[in-house]
Amino acid sequence: MAKVQVNNVVVLDNPSPFYNPFQFEITFECIEDLSEDLEWKIIYVGSAESEEYDQVLDSVLVGPVPAGRHMFVFQADAPNPGLIPDADAVGVTVVLITCTYRGQEFIRVGYYVNNEYTETELRENPPVKPDFSKLQRNILASNPRVTRFHINWEDNTEKLEDTESSNPNLQSLLSTDALPSASKGWSTSENSLNVMLESHMDCM
Amino acid sequence: FGLEAGSWTNAHQPIFSVDIHPDGTKFATGGQGQDSGKVVIWNMSPVLQEDDEKDENIPKMLCQMDNHLACVNCVRWSNSGMYLASGGDDKLIMVWKRATYIGPSTVFGSSGKLANVEQWRCVSILRNHSGDVMDVAWSPHDAWLASCSVDNTVVIWNAVKFPEILATLRGHSGLVKGLTWDPVGKYIASQADDRSLKVWRTLDWQLETSITKPFDECGGTTHVLRLSWSPDGHYLVSAHAMNNSGPTAQIIEREGWKTNMDFVGHRKAVTVVKFNPKIFKKKQKNGSSTKPSCPYCCCAVGSKDRSLSVWVSFGGKRDLTLNGLGILVCSMDGSVAFLDFSQDELGDPLSEEEKSRIHQSTYGKSLAIMTEAQLSTAVIENPEMLKYQRRQQQQQLEQKSASTRETGSATSVAGVVNGESLEDIRKNLLKKQVETRTADGRRRITPLCIAQLDTGDFSTAFFNSIPLSGSLAGTMLSSHSSPQLLPLDSSTPNSFGASKPCTEPVVAASARPAGDSVNKDSMNATSTPAALSPSVLTTPSKIEPMKAFDSRFTERSKATPGAPALTSVTPTAMERLKEQNLVKELRPRDLLESSSDSDEKVPLTKPSSLSKRKLELEVETVEKKKKGRPRKDSRLMPVSLSVQSPATLTAEKEAMCLSAPALALKLPIPGPQRAFTLQVSSDPSMYIEVENEVTVVGGVKLSRLKCNREGKEWETVLTSRILTAAGSCDVVCVACEKRMLSVFSTCGRRLLSPILLPSPISTLHCTGSYVMALTAAATLSVWDVHRQVVVVKEESLHSILAGSDMTVSQILLTQHGIPVMNLSDGKAYCFNPSLSTWNLVSDKQDSLAQCADFRSSLPSQDAMLCSGPLAIIQGRTSNSGRQAARLFSVPHVVQQETTLAYLENQVAAALTLQSSHEYRHWLLLYARYLVNEGFEYRLREICKDLLGPVHYSTGSQWESTVVGLRKRELLKELLPVIGQNLRFQRLFTECQEQLDILRDK
Repeated sequence: MAKVQVNNVVVLDNPSPFYNPFQFEITFECIEDLSEDLEWKIIYVGSAESEEYDQVLDSVLVGPVPAGRHMFVFQADAPNPGLIPDADAVGVTVVLITCTYRGQEFIRVGYYVNNEYTETELRENPPVKPDFSKLQRNILASNPRVTRFHINWEDNTEKLEDTESSNPNLQSLLSTDALPSASKGWSTSENSLNVMLESHMDCM
Repeated sequence: FGLEAGSWTNAHQPIFSVDIHPDGTKFATGGQGQDSGKVVIWNMSPVLQEDDEKDENIPKMLCQMDNHLACVNCVRWSNSGMYLASGGDDKLIMVWKRATYIGPSTVFGSSGKLANVEQWRCVSILRNHSGDVMDVAWSPHDAWLASCSVDNTVVIWNAVKFPEILATLRGHSGLVKGLTWDPVGKYIASQADDRSLKVWRTLDWQLETSITKPFDECGGTTHVLRLSWSPDGHYLVSAHAMNNSGPTAQIIEREGWKTNMDFVGHRKAVTVVKFNPKIFKKKQKNGSSTKPSCPYCCCAVGSKDRSLSVWVSFGGKRDLTLNGLGILVCSMDGSVAFLDFSQDELGDPLSEEEKSRIHQSTYGKSLAIMTEAQLSTAVIENPEMLKYQRRQQQQQLEQKSASTRETGSATSVAGVVNGESLEDIRKNLLKKQVETRTADGRRRITPLCIAQLDTGDFSTAFFNSIPLSGSLAGTMLSSHSSPQLLPLDSSTPNSFGASKPCTEPVVAASARPAGDSVNKDSMNATSTPAALSPSVLTTPSKIEPMKAFDSRFTERSKATPGAPALTSVTPTAMERLKEQNLVKELRPRDLLESSSDSDEKVPLTKPSSLSKRKLELEVETVEKKKKGRPRKDSRLMPVSLSVQSPATLTAEKEAMCLSAPALALKLPIPGPQRAFTLQVSSDPSMYIEVENEVTVVGGVKLSRLKCNREGKEWETVLTSRILTAAGSCDVVCVACEKRMLSVFSTCGRRLLSPILLPSPISTLHCTGSYVMALTAAATLSVWDVHRQVVVVKEESLHSILAGSDMTVSQILLTQHGIPVMNLSDGKAYCFNPSLSTWNLVSDKQDSLAQCADFRSSLPSQDAMLCSGPLAIIQGRTSNSGRQAARLFSVPHVVQQETTLAYLENQVAAALTLQSSHEYRHWLLLYARYLVNEGFEYRLREICKDLLGPVHYSTGSQWESTVVGLRKRELLKELLPVIGQNLRFQRLFTECQEQLDILRDK
């Protein structure tokens, strides 16, 4: 089971001008003392077309982490506009906060980000070359999409992998039990769409 | 009967298990969550009362936990109701306990607005099974927890000492899918896919019998095979048996394991059987005479044919009728239904006492179980013992009520950390949080700890201001005895009516037709595009990219560069940082490494020009910050024997080291300085100022010594330069050139004519009226200035420094004039003046300390904060035991032995240091451990020594006090501890009586 649970992420300074740094106040809980630091990253998705345009805004180690509930503010500089394709400057994109332990990502929190001109004139007639200083960044803070991954939290790597590999057999045995096996799988995408729906309704 | 549907219980994910809390106020469900297993705790009252259901102020869901990584197959409350065990497809069993101080919270990113009204925290994770855990079961009295798995085994866990495993029951050749304990604790039964039902003895954990005949015909499989034992112990009812090609629930008689009867009527395989934990009796109402019938049990049978039947057994006759009880059923369609039966239909439940009377008359007293749990049924012989037991329960009750009060104001408790509101903290968090750079230039943030977790472990969190509930050990111990001794459990009709539930589909009761949920799903699906509208409106071209983003949210990045770098950062340095919980300091790694042997007090990042004394001051303040509060005992001031600057570090080290085996031992000498200041203590504020060669009188240079104590100042002059100074609340002493040592009273009066030291001074230190001088030739002297006696006379450090290149990293002089040397190899020695020996009192590398696990004996959290010389020397090595338990799975016996050895070392060390406070602390801890683990001989020896001879005899060597504590008073303190374990009631009585005799004298 995951030793670290993210309790909350608060988006600070939002909405804000494009060049303002990102600020996330992260609250997490740890059930046992961790022997290593957690590594948090903020990744800005420059373009939906390709991961090529992803920018790691910053990565930070967080530690030491004893058992308990903790919080910190993760601040990272705004993305480098030079690395964002002109066509993707205005509009919806995504910012991701990931956390890894021993190099394994166990949680990914994603937010939609909407970059818009505040001035009506610019909005109606956007310049071909985007003017980033006039852009406003709005993070859809009410609608985080959280994905958790199963990782090995223990020091003993080999043992877990062993049991992991024996798993498929057991799974196949189980599936004969007239279980709705689909429900046991990863059904994230569909469910999170539903969640999205709800919160968008809230906005309206 | 009434039927109510829990239509609010949630989503469309299957629920595989449900269990009602023993007090009937809540119930738990376990099943599939969105992308994990899910355990939910629900409020019972909205289920029972329609008004409560409509009342929006009454919460329905109390807490949801999505910690299981895969589907949860089983949830079970302990009999005491304090714990909830859950087992799932992730091969884990988690044991949950309610945390009392953290306010409502949500599961981040999941259902948004639903707050957790109660906080349930995982206190133990039990890892052993190599396959999905299918069922868990608490033994009567909660001494054991059993789990079974598709790995074909049943594991018995020691519920008093998780995660200890008492036995692994092997023998099934198929997936084990159900467990039930014999209500009197003599057997445990398991049913598996291998078409057998096995009964195991709890005495030796061996197979009692294997029943296969009724299952021979069984074809196909079921998800679960949840069998159940009747509360009177007479019958065991299996799931999924066959009789003449018809599915049945087989009744197995305890007497000879006969299989003559079964419950017939279901069209498909029986998956679950559950007895109501109560035994009932019914008043006959036909006619005028109301004579009570024989006690009977009732049980519910659930089947794959999606129906449920309820049966009542009249005194074991084959007269089985469908009758009523309150029951909760859960279904794969994600619904839970509640069937309510009136007490008329049900009959009157017997009290727990009557139930145990039936058990006793049928099975006799104390059967196979010889655990503490069963001992709770033992007769209490001594009224005092009874008193202690009662008091214990009282305290527990108070604690409970306190904790409920606490939850009432939970938000306010959680909202304040160290007197600062959470809001204030949050406002300044970015500015205030500690951010450093690691050696490779990466940012490192120290998170702010806003709450500790009461997991029973002593956590090392930074703030101590949050109240913590009692220790795991205390509550666990008493939880065994409470059901028997306190008749307060479940007196409401509700809890009687609501039987322990069963699982699997029941169509009759399910309120939500499957189609409904499908509809909802499809509605969601169709309206999804519209949902995107707010952002889409302005940028219609982005609809496609939105979909493209989906993978970004859910797919983990393939490689995380930088992570290898993280792991490669020297583990020792990192761990050291964590160990010390150093939050305020940044240290370049290379420096830290080069000096890692000189303990934590070497200030390294400071510019080299600062004087040594100033550095010490800084060290002291750092130390204070680290502890979060000023140390009370300022007389115990550890002095750093450290070096002036990083640059000279190596040179100094060499000087301090033993370069030749013989007499070449040489310690560093403080060089003459123009002036320096030394803070003696902060409360009362006292500092010494030294100015060398300030005035010249007739060609003679004089040095001035100034002392300021709470504003009162005195000064005096000396003829030679002052090299080093030290002070305490009683004396001030200075060492000058020409090996002179002068001692003054706190008012500046010279107490002794100058002492000539055998060699130049290296370190000077004062505590109380004791003055300690460590010379460059590595000899140590301690004098008591007031009594004018020598405590330690020119004792050589040769014996403790010999052999390897070690240095003294820290010196300490206790209030009793015992010098302690902390060495760079992590060992600490104190000099015992009465034996003239150096005694090892602490060893950082001590493997005993690593393995010892006495958490269960800690009386409370703050006990770890016991301060004194021993604590200062050893530092707070709090979580080592826990680490040990996790890292190497030591056999319990070894664990016990190491823990005993460790605790004994601690007691002896505290004694050697003459630290009465710590001696008492460790002695009590040791005794508590002996009590918990049942070591009678050692306990008896301690008691005997503390008690001493009851009848006065002249030949007796017995001392009535130990380190200033009266032994018999200690024994009195020990008695309640001994009284906690009924096994020691003889010892308790003996001591009690003898103390009484002594008192009467």
